[in-house]
Amino acid sequence: MSCAQTHLHKVELQTKDYKTDTKPFWCPGCGDHGVLTSVYRALSELGVDPNYLVNISGIGCSSRLPYFVRSYKMHTLHGRAGPVATGVQLARPDLAILVNGGDGDGFSIGGGHMPHLARKNINMTYVLMDNRIYGLTKGQVSPTSQRQLKAYTTPYGGVEEPMNPILYMLTYGASFVAQTLATNVKMTAQMIKEGMEHKGFSFISVLSQCPTFNVIDDAKSFKGSAEEVQEGHDVGDIDAAMHAVNMAHKNNRIPVGLLFRQERSTLDERMADLVKQVGGSPDYDLRKIIDLARP
Amino acid sequence: MDKNDLIIRVAGEGGEGIISTGDLITQACARTGLEVYTFKTFPAEIKGGYAMYQTRASTKPLYNQGDTFDVLCAFNGQAYDLNRSRLLPGTAFVYDGPGGDFEPDVPPGVFAYPIPMTVTAKELGNTKAKNMVALGALSHLFNIPEQALREIITAKFSKKGGTVVEGNLNAFTRGRELAAALPKTDPWNIGVPTEKNDTIVLSGNDAIGLGAIIAGLDFFAAYPITPATEIARYVARHLPKRGGTLIQAEDEIASVSQVLGASFAGKKAMTATSGPGLALMGEMLGMSFMSETPCVVVNVQRGGPSTGLPTKHEQSDLFLSIFGSHGDCGRIVLSVEGVEDCIGLTVEAFNLAETYQCPVLLLSDGSLAFSTQTIPYPDPASYKIVNRKRWDGKKEYQRYTITDDFISPMADPGTPGGMHIATGLEHDQAGEPNYTAANHEAMQAKRFRKLDAVVKNFTPAEVDGEGDSDLGIIAWGSTIGVVREAISRLRAEGVSVKGFYPKLLWPMPVEQFEAFGASCRKVMVAEVNFQGQLAHFIRAETNLRPVSYTICGGLPFTPAMIVGKAKEMLK
Repeated sequence: MSCAQTHLHKVELQTKDYKTDTKPFWCPGCGDHGVLTSVYRALSELGVDPNYLVNISGIGCSSRLPYFVRSYKMHTLHGRAGPVATGVQLARPDLAILVNGGDGDGFSIGGGHMPHLARKNINMTYVLMDNRIYGLTKGQVSPTSQRQLKAYTTPYGGVEEPMNPILYMLTYGASFVAQTLATNVKMTAQMIKEGMEHKGFSFISVLSQCPTFNVIDDAKSFKGSAEEVQEGHDVGDIDAAMHAVNMAHKNNRIPVGLLFRQERSTLDERMADLVKQVGGSPDYDLRKIIDLARP
Repeated sequence: MDKNDLIIRVAGEGGEGIISTGDLITQACARTGLEVYTFKTFPAEIKGGYAMYQTRASTKPLYNQGDTFDVLCAFNGQAYDLNRSRLLPGTAFVYDGPGGDFEPDVPPGVFAYPIPMTVTAKELGNTKAKNMVALGALSHLFNIPEQALREIITAKFSKKGGTVVEGNLNAFTRGRELAAALPKTDPWNIGVPTEKNDTIVLSGNDAIGLGAIIAGLDFFAAYPITPATEIARYVARHLPKRGGTLIQAEDEIASVSQVLGASFAGKKAMTATSGPGLALMGEMLGMSFMSETPCVVVNVQRGGPSTGLPTKHEQSDLFLSIFGSHGDCGRIVLSVEGVEDCIGLTVEAFNLAETYQCPVLLLSDGSLAFSTQTIPYPDPASYKIVNRKRWDGKKEYQRYTITDDFISPMADPGTPGGMHIATGLEHDQAGEPNYTAANHEAMQAKRFRKLDAVVKNFTPAEVDGEGDSDLGIIAWGSTIGVVREAISRLRAEGVSVKGFYPKLLWPMPVEQFEAFGASCRKVMVAEVNFQGQLAHFIRAETNLRPVSYTICGGLPFTPAMIVGKAKEMLK
């Protein structure tokens, strides 16, 4: 398998070498602690050089994650981590790009960007930390909240149906789609690792419980609903992936594991081909361009 | 008689070849060494609607589209109806007839030339060549260089094959013959240049694209919007030759976000939009200022508010450009006068963004966007190119270190020891979140005080005229070119008048405004918007109390309008 994001800059570091001095600010019992541990483990197992890693996030509890990871990083605006990361990646295809963000950040305010990250196959790893609630604003329903959730703005229970992020990402054309539970550090680290090794847009949905505000989707209920992808599942078959997700949804189950992986060219590769096709180079004589405007 | 300064307007239904006819006239004039300044209007719809292309050609430098036309060429009745009031005695009028869709009632004193454009094109078995018949007639009647036109027509259609070239040239020849059969009654002929300078012909939008490429643009994020889209077209065509890339984003929020990402990654990046797009970008401009990430945004203004007049001219985004973002948010705002500025000030916009690590907005407008002008051949080596200050790797790195000039060196990803965060949260010098009063005050001061040097280092606003005068006229954007001509006409009549033409609008060069104001008995600010947006800033920031002269009909000022207002003020 090609390791497009990390093949250029590898080092041997311990998990502790990826930790910053800033202590995570999440509540005790928050699933995000598990995601962070998984990120550390994945980075050290891959041996990613932190100098060539850019960790990017939007706004929300989970979007604070980059502060705790030694790397170059951008803490951007609500919903905009994806397009900002696109700019970084296209400008510098030699960098490893890791995006973290929540369900509201990625699928409500930033929902318009997700199809384009996927279909364009921007070479980055997007780790969705889905707690099915807005935590930083103290507990409002999100696009992934279950309908019966009584929350800040839904005192009588919600009136909307939740969406299923991985089904959307499969439909949008993501070339790598996986789902895990934050409590399962082993699987989460493994999926992040494989996602970062994957050349293209990898999407990992991690169900990350919010013990403070989401009273119905706790670690236990996630665990109870989780159903590992069946042995023999063909990760190269989009129909099989969609079917698995749909069947699990119908049965109120949460499919976990690697659902889909496809090798195809990334946007930065296609752009580099285009430059090659026109014989482009920084030394190209500007006068040749200006001459075209002679009357 | 040769007129040194002739204006030919071609008008008709969109899709009839109006724009290409105008383009051919313009190219031919420029090829023989004439100065040209064109002006177009076109409908917001793709098919049909009124389209107009006006070419002003002169042996002397031109700064605007002129007052009105000397020659009108009407392809249909609508074009005639819309322009009839401007068919003044002495103008020449070429129209589709007999056999067109209208019978004009030619006003007295107008020199009329009926040319059966539609009928002739039909006879030639090539209805699409109606505009070539018109072009041939215009070429004969007003001495538009025949040889240059033939060359340009041949080049234009050569890709479509010899038959198409032949067909168009035949229609052109037939148009000349039809005109030759009519007695020439008007006195107009296009001027004959005495010298030929090394020039190019570019539209405002293309020139911004060229300026960006000269500045060292690496990455352009686009989202289609009238009247800015041609900038992306130009960049998409030429940037890959220099190894750079263009991405079309899903919306303007994404395009400006991508610009910030690319800039963080160490590259020169930009986007171009119009008012509605800029409104969407406001939040990310704040992030650019807060995280001190260089960012260049071009705003080609159009008629607003809301969807407004999407294809029309207005200068109404000054408020949005200067203040558009939440919180106390600084930036640099430049405004271009003409095509030459579109190159030079775009380079300058990049230089400023790289120097001051903040958002830089470059304002153009709907009239300039599509106006093509002759400008001296730009020598790419003559532009000063500035790159951002980068960390030298010596002391321990702090991204937001407060320095003497308040500018903190940047570190590209991949620089060992340079790891840092670009964040929209208030932060300390290391980039760590910090919401204390002392820190917020110190960091806001840092971000604003670095901009103090902008006014000091930027080329002072041009003052047109010397000493004291009765009237001072202040203008920005493409209105400056109109004011230049108005002032020269007023001076010819003995009026004491000066002009003030700022290109840096924010931070405002207050002292320069005040010095200008002190030398004028009265001051007028001419701009194309309802509220008098620059006048508002002048009143707020300076001791001037100018008269605000505004129009907002979707068209630029004419020199005659400024002359009229000036006389009224001095009465």
